[in-house]
Amino acid sequence: MGLIKKVPVYTESIPGGALVATSLEAVLNFGRAKSLWYLLFGTACCAIELMCTGASRYDFDRLGMMFRASPRQADLIIAAGTITKKMGPRLRKLYDQMAEPRYVIAMGGCTIKGGPFYYDSYSVEKGIDHIVPVDIYVPGCPPRPESLLEGCLHLQEKVRRQKLSEWQEK
Amino acid sequence: MTQQELTAYIQSSFEGKLTLLDTGRAEPMFEVRPDDLLEVARRLRDDLQLKFDYLCNMGASDTRERLEVVYSIASTTRRLRMDFKLVLGYENPAVESVTPVWPAANWYEREMNELFGIEVKDHPDMRPLLLPEDWDQGYPMLKNWDAPDFVRMPEL
Amino acid sequence: MPELRTEEFQINMGPHHPSTHGVCRLLLTMDGEKVVEAVPYVGYLHRAIEKICENRTYHMCIPILDRFEYVTSMSCNYVFSLAAEKLARIEVPERAEYLRVIMLELNRIASHLIFVGTTAMDLGALTPFLYGLRERELIMDLFEMTCGQRLTYNYIRIGGVSRDIPPQFVPKCREAVRIIGGKLADYEGILNENPIWLARMKGIGYADPQQAIAWGVSGPVLRASGVKYDLRRDDPYSIYDKFNFDVAVRWNGDNYDRFLVRIDEIRQSLKIISQALDGLPEGETRAKVKARFKPPAGEVYVRIENSRGEMGVYLVSDGSEKPVRVKTRGGSYNQLQFLPEIVRGRGYLIADLVAIFATFDVIMPEVDR
Repeated sequence: MGLIKKVPVYTESIPGGALVATSLEAVLNFGRAKSLWYLLFGTACCAIELMCTGASRYDFDRLGMMFRASPRQADLIIAAGTITKKMGPRLRKLYDQMAEPRYVIAMGGCTIKGGPFYYDSYSVEKGIDHIVPVDIYVPGCPPRPESLLEGCLHLQEKVRRQKLSEWQEK
Repeated sequence: MTQQELTAYIQSSFEGKLTLLDTGRAEPMFEVRPDDLLEVARRLRDDLQLKFDYLCNMGASDTRERLEVVYSIASTTRRLRMDFKLVLGYENPAVESVTPVWPAANWYEREMNELFGIEVKDHPDMRPLLLPEDWDQGYPMLKNWDAPDFVRMPEL
Repeated sequence: MPELRTEEFQINMGPHHPSTHGVCRLLLTMDGEKVVEAVPYVGYLHRAIEKICENRTYHMCIPILDRFEYVTSMSCNYVFSLAAEKLARIEVPERAEYLRVIMLELNRIASHLIFVGTTAMDLGALTPFLYGLRERELIMDLFEMTCGQRLTYNYIRIGGVSRDIPPQFVPKCREAVRIIGGKLADYEGILNENPIWLARMKGIGYADPQQAIAWGVSGPVLRASGVKYDLRRDDPYSIYDKFNFDVAVRWNGDNYDRFLVRIDEIRQSLKIISQALDGLPEGETRAKVKARFKPPAGEVYVRIENSRGEMGVYLVSDGSEKPVRVKTRGGSYNQLQFLPEIVRGRGYLIADLVAIFATFDVIMPEVDR
């Protein structure tokens, strides 16, 4: 079985089969990392690249990620696109509606520090760090689908390393 | 009527209401006084030779000396297009709404009102369009507007 | 028996909803299950592009305007370059014009493929989404080969195009045209005769042509109501008068016709691209334009036929190297204004409203800028 090769286990054969001992953290983290469901949150140009990453050529589903329409059913927000001052409180509301443990990927230059709209714009939030806590930053304008896939793989590593006590935020 | 004959036709039949600005520009631009706006707009839409039934674009611009409101109109049946503008000062700029003539001007006038501060009289639905609901920092598109978190790009 | 209370109540179809049209909020007034009034609230993507362009030189404005309408980014580059060239009276070389037409039409096909995909996804059919984006990847490969970018190209510059096409572009483009033309039969086969598709699209969302013109609607929405108005034919720009193509028009004005008009437009664009590839001349790809471009003082309004309607730029210059005013106009702005007019009082359900909104093909950055 593939699971045995991917998590640290201690096996001992007994007549009629085997006994497998492992840590709960390893199994649960493995399960969570390989099936992150993301919220369909696309504001601007990066949303088109997010759609392309989910489509036929660069497939998100092979990483176990599928889109959900409601934040109650998602555990990842890929914030794709510029967040303006009018939209900021709505992003916070969506983030608050997700169940813990939850993650945020900031996709594109606009969500990192304002992107091309940093100078001379009166209505753009210069980065989303001060609205939601961000786990992974994916730079680019817009980032290629390969960049976004690499960002998701990094997030999976981060999830595998998380401890059970960190699931609940203070 | 072709685009060339249009300028001559407008000058002859709208004598005094639409004045042609100086020639040598890329395309002819007419000027109308704020009081004549609705009458000129109705005549432009209903004139049988012109039939300007389509409002392409309407916007304000701040040229550091004055405020201008520019209208661009076209005809879907006669292959014609023209622009005309109004000139306003910075003190209490006000203009009449052209929504009775071209309903398309609805959102353009709302946007103009909240970004430039130009008052639009008799508009059916004047509410802010683009800025956040709690915006209280003035009219952002004016050239002398500033705010604490507004970062200007440094000169290269 | 006590009387049934029937009051109208309001539902918020909020800025985040699961169709990829961007961030638009609709406040619906409902009478039971029927929608009485739908009022759009916009501004959630207002990035102040026009204010930014006032502090950039003319060449620097082009990548910013890329993000004005990112699905057809070549058109945004093109309309601004056309305005600057008209002000400064620049002659564009012929090879550059042909390359521009090829890129604009490829971009139109890519945009309509996204439309097919997202409309089907909004109505619940997930397969055409994957089909549409698979064909679009062919076009993205062509663009990446030419200018290095998949989405916001910065390719069409003032005076021409930024660089010449590589030698493998022409055979690959012909291959892409052949494949896409063949796959259109797939889309029509899976959708056109489907009873669910017909029930949700036929006869719903009627748009009266005279009202549409008065509200400034243009593009496929207007042509689906029977008005044969296409700027490539009625107000020609670039070299469109050299090509032989039909204007796609339908007569019923409902959702189904708005969908069919765009499939027809893909076919016509494929025709234009084949003709342009056949007639591509040799020559330069860009006229001589100074790096510190200073057009003479003046103002101009230019407009082109984009895949969502009329896209225009009103450019004011005072002789310096930064524009005084760049006012952009997108087709989706007027279509979103027009939406309450065709919904009011017709007794549509929310599912019908989703279908109407999808076939209008509204992109929010065009509305909010």
